[in-house]
Amino acid sequence: MTITDLMTTKKPDSKLRLKVLEKIGEHKPYNCFQCIRCTSGCPAMKMLELKPHEIVNLAKLGFIEDVVNSGIIWTCAMCLKCKERCPQEVAPVDLILALRNLAVEMEAKIPEGHLKNVSMILETGFILTPREAITRKLEKYSRDKLGLPKLPKPSEKFKATFLKALGTS
Amino acid sequence: MRTAVFWGCVIPNAQYAYELSVREVLPRLGVELVDLEDVSCCGTPIMSVNMNAFLYLAARNLAIAEKTGLKTLLVPCSGCRLSFSEAMHYLRRDEKLQEKINSLLKDEGLEYTGTIRMRFITDLLCNVVKKEYIQKLTKKTLNELKLASHYGCHAIRPSSIERTDDPENPRNLDDLIGWLGARSEAYPEKLDCCGSLLLWSHHDAAFTFAGLKLKAIQDRGFDGVVVTCPACHMMFDERQKAVASTVGSKLDLPVLYYTQLLGLAMGIEEEKLGLHLNRSPVDKLLEKIG
Repeated sequence: MTITDLMTTKKPDSKLRLKVLEKIGEHKPYNCFQCIRCTSGCPAMKMLELKPHEIVNLAKLGFIEDVVNSGIIWTCAMCLKCKERCPQEVAPVDLILALRNLAVEMEAKIPEGHLKNVSMILETGFILTPREAITRKLEKYSRDKLGLPKLPKPSEKFKATFLKALGTS
Repeated sequence: MRTAVFWGCVIPNAQYAYELSVREVLPRLGVELVDLEDVSCCGTPIMSVNMNAFLYLAARNLAIAEKTGLKTLLVPCSGCRLSFSEAMHYLRRDEKLQEKINSLLKDEGLEYTGTIRMRFITDLLCNVVKKEYIQKLTKKTLNELKLASHYGCHAIRPSSIERTDDPENPRNLDDLIGWLGARSEAYPEKLDCCGSLLLWSHHDAAFTFAGLKLKAIQDRGFDGVVVTCPACHMMFDERQKAVASTVGSKLDLPVLYYTQLLGLAMGIEEEKLGLHLNRSPVDKLLEKIG
């Protein structure tokens, strides 16, 4: 998906662009002048060809739907170097998170791991359940056996409110 | 001092060694830990899914911490640190947003007011406990050791929000290691990410992130890696063998939490610090310490 291809085959969507802009608050992609500092330090660039400056450019131009459905937004490792280093305070990672949120709203394909986090929190309050630790000598230890206190368990009320929060955008 | 402590998801469900060592070491340094009731996930894992739900989770946990009346919240996980600092930043700036989130919290009789101060573990040790107190309580000097510090991305970035360290040249953890007599040398891969947040979408790439960093550290002749983030520790310690296969080399690198290292220097027994739970070959490091 290159910008040249998109510009000859697709039309920008200004409504969706506005929706994304609303989500990211003060970090405006318009301030980006494509210095590529974000991409040059991006660890996901080396491994998965994520180019944050291109995502910013596509959002600027309004090709939102294409980015949201491309899968590339899920290659970000959230190291936040781009947010730290951008001389224009654009924060590409915040834009990527906004696009991920939009992908969920638009019911695009979401990596299972992210959806599992939601269902786990709903079920248990946490993204993990307590597991047995295995030592180097292959002995098993539970929290209990290690003398650690019991874990908090969220109430039914918490679950209901969390669902309510998930319903807002 | 007394401080509330927020453990998050990974520490109390999987990284018991960190919890054990924090609970063992901090009270000896004059920090009394107060556990929180009814807390949940900090919110960071669902930033990608729904920002409002993330803010709700973060503010809910902060509100529970505020309810204790304590002024400080200790956060030993850098992922939780990101969640709380981002939420504090957004809610402080936007009154309407704070009202919206508080209207959700009301269902459980909670309110977020923004009065508690969060401190990450290295921040607390460097700036509250301080060098003199730490050195006063250490019994062993670790001057045989050359250690690599690994900070964890969310402990130092973004620097715009309540960070206490330089995001491009962080010093806190290196200072803390140095105070124990060990050498903490700079290395080019120091700021590289462990990859753990990619586990939810690109499992193999996440392992390669960790593998490349560990291989670089090993090749540079370090005796071990010191971390302060449970997610990074899981990648480097528990998964070291699997991670090694992604970069086609044999890794044999001790990985431990700073609080474990500190405990060793203070002369605390290994089991009390959870050192039997580390999966990486920490034995060779323990031998050197003696």
